[in-house]
Amino acid sequence: MKISRDWLQTYFEKELPDASVLAEALTFHVFEIESVEGDVLDVKVTPNRGHDCLCHYGIAKELSAILNVPFIPQKHENGVEDMLSKKTDAIVVSINNPLCKRYIAGYLKGVKIGHSPEWLRKRIEAIGQKSINNVVDATNYVMFNIGQPLHVFDAGKLKKQESYAISVRMAKKGEAMLTLDDKEYTFTDAMMVITDMHADAIIGIAGIKGGKMSGVDEGTTDIILEAANFDGVSVRRAAQALKLRTDASERFQQVLSSGLAGYGMRAAVEIIQEIAGGELVGFADEYPEPEEERSVSISVAQINQALGTSLSESDTIDVFTRLGFSYEARGREISVLAPFERLDIVIPEDLIEEVGRLVGYDKVPSTELPVFPRSPETNENFYRSEHVREDLMSDGYSEVYTSVFANSGERAVVNKVGGEQSYLRKSLIPGLEETLKRNIRNKDLLGISEVRIFEIGTIWPASSNKSEHDGKEEIVVGIASEKEGTSERSLKDMAPVLSQEVGYEELPVSATERYQPFSRYPFIVRDIAMWIPGGVDENEVLGLIQREAGELLVHEALFDRFEKDGKVSLAFRLVFQSFDRTLTDEEANQHMKGIQATLESKGLEIR
Amino acid sequence: MDRGHMHPISSLIREANSIFHNMGFTFAEGPLIESEWYNFDTLNVPKDHPARDMQDTFYIKDEPGYVLRTHTSPVQVRYMEGEAKKGNTPPYRVIVPGKVFRNEATDMTHEAEFYQIEGLAVGEDVTLANLKGTLARFFKELFKNANVEIRFRPSFFPFTEPSVEVDMRLVGENVPEKLRDKWIEMMGAGMVHPNVLKNAGVDPKKYRGFAFGMGLDRLAMLRWGIDDIRLMHSADLRFINQF
Repeated sequence: MKISRDWLQTYFEKELPDASVLAEALTFHVFEIESVEGDVLDVKVTPNRGHDCLCHYGIAKELSAILNVPFIPQKHENGVEDMLSKKTDAIVVSINNPLCKRYIAGYLKGVKIGHSPEWLRKRIEAIGQKSINNVVDATNYVMFNIGQPLHVFDAGKLKKQESYAISVRMAKKGEAMLTLDDKEYTFTDAMMVITDMHADAIIGIAGIKGGKMSGVDEGTTDIILEAANFDGVSVRRAAQALKLRTDASERFQQVLSSGLAGYGMRAAVEIIQEIAGGELVGFADEYPEPEEERSVSISVAQINQALGTSLSESDTIDVFTRLGFSYEARGREISVLAPFERLDIVIPEDLIEEVGRLVGYDKVPSTELPVFPRSPETNENFYRSEHVREDLMSDGYSEVYTSVFANSGERAVVNKVGGEQSYLRKSLIPGLEETLKRNIRNKDLLGISEVRIFEIGTIWPASSNKSEHDGKEEIVVGIASEKEGTSERSLKDMAPVLSQEVGYEELPVSATERYQPFSRYPFIVRDIAMWIPGGVDENEVLGLIQREAGELLVHEALFDRFEKDGKVSLAFRLVFQSFDRTLTDEEANQHMKGIQATLESKGLEIR
Repeated sequence: MDRGHMHPISSLIREANSIFHNMGFTFAEGPLIESEWYNFDTLNVPKDHPARDMQDTFYIKDEPGYVLRTHTSPVQVRYMEGEAKKGNTPPYRVIVPGKVFRNEATDMTHEAEFYQIEGLAVGEDVTLANLKGTLARFFKELFKNANVEIRFRPSFFPFTEPSVEVDMRLVGENVPEKLRDKWIEMMGAGMVHPNVLKNAGVDPKKYRGFAFGMGLDRLAMLRWGIDDIRLMHSADLRFINQF
């Protein structure tokens, strides 16, 4: 999420360091940073912290803890119940589904819709959002500030009898609504909606987006603010099915504390009254089961045992204090109460992580494991594979890996991207045959006389035995060569039986230092044969050829040599290839002419 | 006939097995078609977790509840269960090199099938410091003659708590220039989540463990300067014969 340094600064009296310093602090103590552009950080909030950190408040709290900079106490941190105590019976809210844990409606009259003040517009625009009007901007500001999504309805567009009636329920299959941006969405009965009960009309898709019919415009004077808590999974599924992901749905799907709705409502009402005026009539707060506080206990010994550190009790307490956790030491145990929005703090290991990351993982020493009391087992399949691999390589076979996906087979996947080759191979043979063909074309380039390849891989074959089902996994060895053709055998039929006492052998590994990219362009082969006087060195001739041909000569080999009447005949095969274009025959001929001329000038007779 | 060439990932697995074997780790394996139970549930991945979406995971046709494993981690629980059945209590140490699958379009850095190596150490006294020490030794032996530094950053995975990203830096004259002195993100790791131990029948009050999962294709690419992950499954001898 986009986080502005200026915005963060509102939480601190002391000036914050540069964005780059903030980025580093966050990287090593809490979140990866995707990018830093000017004063805006793009923070990659992990899924376990979506509850509290998809907002400036959450990130500011983290920075306060990491940098140990005091945090300006927040108005919205206490006394919220007092403010919501102004109840009104002008709105009746009914929740008809357990997937909505809380719904607060706030009723304001006489609001003046207009442009946002500059400070608000700047804040919103700094993080890439568009300013709409003062009231909508205020609700967005609260969401990006403390994490609670909100929505505003134009009360004048809802039906009023003795009171307004808002209901949260599952949609009926086929019900539809036009959103604020003029798109119609049709719902299934797995989607939660907000309705105007008197009009029996859907006015919002719960946790995702509001409807056009009840939207705020220049003529709006009375508004109903919504601060609610919707189930994360339900919102995620609906947003996915409707292909409608919004800043609100992104937050609800991470699961929010239902306590946050109260703070969100309070913050929104305050800002709206400040910038758009209006009189607060009151609130309707449907909160069937208030969230319970959860305390978690841990001892310093447990922390050190898990991290391998030797932290003291005061190191630990310091971390909890910086994070704003309240705690109580009871003998060796410390009982910790995290702030309500920290839904991620559930088990002692969660506290171990808090201590580890805030103290800094650089404080975790590097300690090797003690000697293992038993000797490790030798894995049968790996042992056999290694044996087969060595045998085949010493016979000149090279190892390939081909894809497990094929055009036919006993088993298949349902959802392959592109839909092609969705079967799981029942044999290595088709893949190896195709591979053999492809590599034969490159024989001259590779400078090999015969292509020999093998693969040790998993297949899902038809069963030869009626008692077993088709498509059972099996590891097989497939070999393919120009002379011997292609065949495969079960790994267990190909290698000696494992002896646990003997175990693995020490086998050689690749000695290659660096891979050299190869040209993807076609190559051209030319042969040249010559008589050389006895006593002339072959390597000298090769050197002449290489110097004359230059970098386009990618491979050269002496493929024939014989002696007759005191003279020696040499025949070289030369392979030309460019890294950046397809060579023409013309170019190859030019090079061959040059080579010929050079060799002739040295007195060699070209045949 | 000249000796044939070994696939670079086979070479890497051979080397990794040898290094980890000396540290007491057993090579373990598991099926490629895996149940959702082992691939997700036992690993503390909630039923509604986005990783289970069809766009990320290959589901097996006409076999509800089965997937092509998305990581080597299901072998953690399979191995621990297997040991318990044999009457072996921790300490356990295993590595699981093997093929894994993600349902994604391929490009130079993404493949639908690739290789991972999982590591798991469980015991009464296993610590996060041991994870650092184990990985430091692994990389030190793998990148011979280089000074290896290991760094952890906070992260999140459902199956570890705490979770970390592991970065590595190679320092020294013998290190290829492209790798020298640069921090490189190597893998995700952490302390095994108590729910995973519980699901495997191991008492999390008595035992703890660390686990890591590293991409072998990526490691091979770094080690040899390979520029395209698709070469691994290309079966192209212009590639293979360089190793």
